[in-house]
Amino acid sequence: MPKFYTTDFDEMETLFNTEIDKNLNQSEFEVLLQEFKTDYNQTHFVRNKEFKEAADKIDGPLRQIFVELLERSCTAEFYGFLLYKELGRRLKKTNPVVAEIFSLMSRDEARHAGFLNKGLSDFNLALGLGFLTKARKYTFFKPKFIFYVTYLSEKIGYWRYITIYRHLKENPEYQCYPIFKYFENWCQDENRHGDFFSALLKAQHQFLNDWKAKLWSRFFCLSVYVTMYLNDCQRTAFYEGIGLDTKEFDMHVIIETNRTTARIFPAVLDVENPEFKRRLDKMVEINEQLIAAGESDDIHLVKDLKRIPLIAALASELLATFLMRPIESGSVDFAEFEAQLVY
Amino acid sequence: MLGALSAASLTLGPGSAPAPFTAKCGNDGAANALATAPSFRTAVAVVDSDQLSPEKKQAQKYHFVVANAKFMLDEEEHFKELLFERLRYNGEHDKEQDFWLVIEPKFLDNFPDITKRLRRPAVALVSTNGPWITEKEKKIYHGQWRNSTLFAGREGPWPPQVPPFRLCPQWFMKLRLDRVLSDSYEADSLEEALASNPTKLEFEKPENWVAPYAKYEFGWWGPFLPNGLKV
Repeated sequence: MPKFYTTDFDEMETLFNTEIDKNLNQSEFEVLLQEFKTDYNQTHFVRNKEFKEAADKIDGPLRQIFVELLERSCTAEFYGFLLYKELGRRLKKTNPVVAEIFSLMSRDEARHAGFLNKGLSDFNLALGLGFLTKARKYTFFKPKFIFYVTYLSEKIGYWRYITIYRHLKENPEYQCYPIFKYFENWCQDENRHGDFFSALLKAQHQFLNDWKAKLWSRFFCLSVYVTMYLNDCQRTAFYEGIGLDTKEFDMHVIIETNRTTARIFPAVLDVENPEFKRRLDKMVEINEQLIAAGESDDIHLVKDLKRIPLIAALASELLATFLMRPIESGSVDFAEFEAQLVY
Repeated sequence: MLGALSAASLTLGPGSAPAPFTAKCGNDGAANALATAPSFRTAVAVVDSDQLSPEKKQAQKYHFVVANAKFMLDEEEHFKELLFERLRYNGEHDKEQDFWLVIEPKFLDNFPDITKRLRRPAVALVSTNGPWITEKEKKIYHGQWRNSTLFAGREGPWPPQVPPFRLCPQWFMKLRLDRVLSDSYEADSLEEALASNPTKLEFEKPENWVAPYAKYEFGWWGPFLPNGLKV
């Protein structure tokens, strides 16, 4: 299931406290606030009777996969709503501009989650969002890690949605459920959310300008890309159901997300190097064996003994991929190579 | 020395600010443009009301981001989506168009420090909906650079070697596209502001297209060109 991220709210407050840092660059935030206030998708998420009709026609294994996808997406959006809402609340006094942006982002996530939850009702299900709010299992990340991870997941979300939208527009025979038609406008929200995290990183320049920042950038790129690739390969029936080749879809999303991320992270992975895909595919194989070992009828001890070398193999592939030569990158506002750039 | 700097930057005339402030501000800020742009003014001058002729139009400020045409129109597909989203929004709220795409704009002739770093043909996104930061606040930032967290922990002589990007106005398109140069100018009419040199555009097909969809059609930018211009 998607993770619920939480963070050190006190440190967040301090980072963006305009009393403490009188020279905090607010200009990008003011500009973004105007973009979010514009509320481009205010009237976009309106359903029609096509939804229930389409859902009733989806049966067999594809139905279960659809339900699972809706559940996972709804949960992820809902967790985003909770985190942003809390950040909006906590930063109100110390930085009202940034706080308002977080609140407007939580408005977007609530809309997305609500729309997905209504989709679930087409399949005669619904997520207990109240129950999810009380969930105690969460992943703690210090603020700077929240910035890296959330930037990546918002931008990757944009690329996933727009790719599915554009593919289905050209291949309408696969439009088995109308929600995909909403993706084009919807994903602009995700893209804007990513822009805000880009501005947060630029305002805290120390998260972008040293060797540690470069290592963390590469680490989070790797985690996010590998997680998506492994997850999607396990759910390949959905992508095939809408006419996509899962691995080709994922590689395209990874390449584009990486290119976008190169506009802000000081280092990114060389994802177009064939070695990168080779290692990802190897990880998929190992992961499949790991899952098989876990699901076998062996006793616990035997299961663990089978899994240990597999986990070691996976870790080794991950490390080798991490150590691949990275690509130097970053915003032209302060990248070292800016002077050589021709626009 | 800091006090003298603040006083110098308040006048904002050509050559009055020290080199680092003009070097990188939005890739050549107002001070430089003043020195090189006789027909495009970048600061509002105080004029006696009896000197104003009734026919004199109010100068309008135009903000732009610019890069080569291949980047703006062929590579950045999300850019097309943003422009159409804005167009849709303006339509839904009965707003007049306040942004345009200009291919090989004439105003670039007055920004040599931009054009020397620009691949041609170039395309600019021009808008009257500019950044919020005013001239006054730009001056305040000039004086406070040394306390900025951008330079925290850095030792070294004055002036700082790192381009002081914080001292420049930002706007959303610059943040989103990043690999663009930006600035602003004034013009007396829309026609003057959006004047361009006729150019034929041609883009090579990408070497390696891995997307499960076709590229956006050549010419998608038609609705955003100034009135009457063809693709």
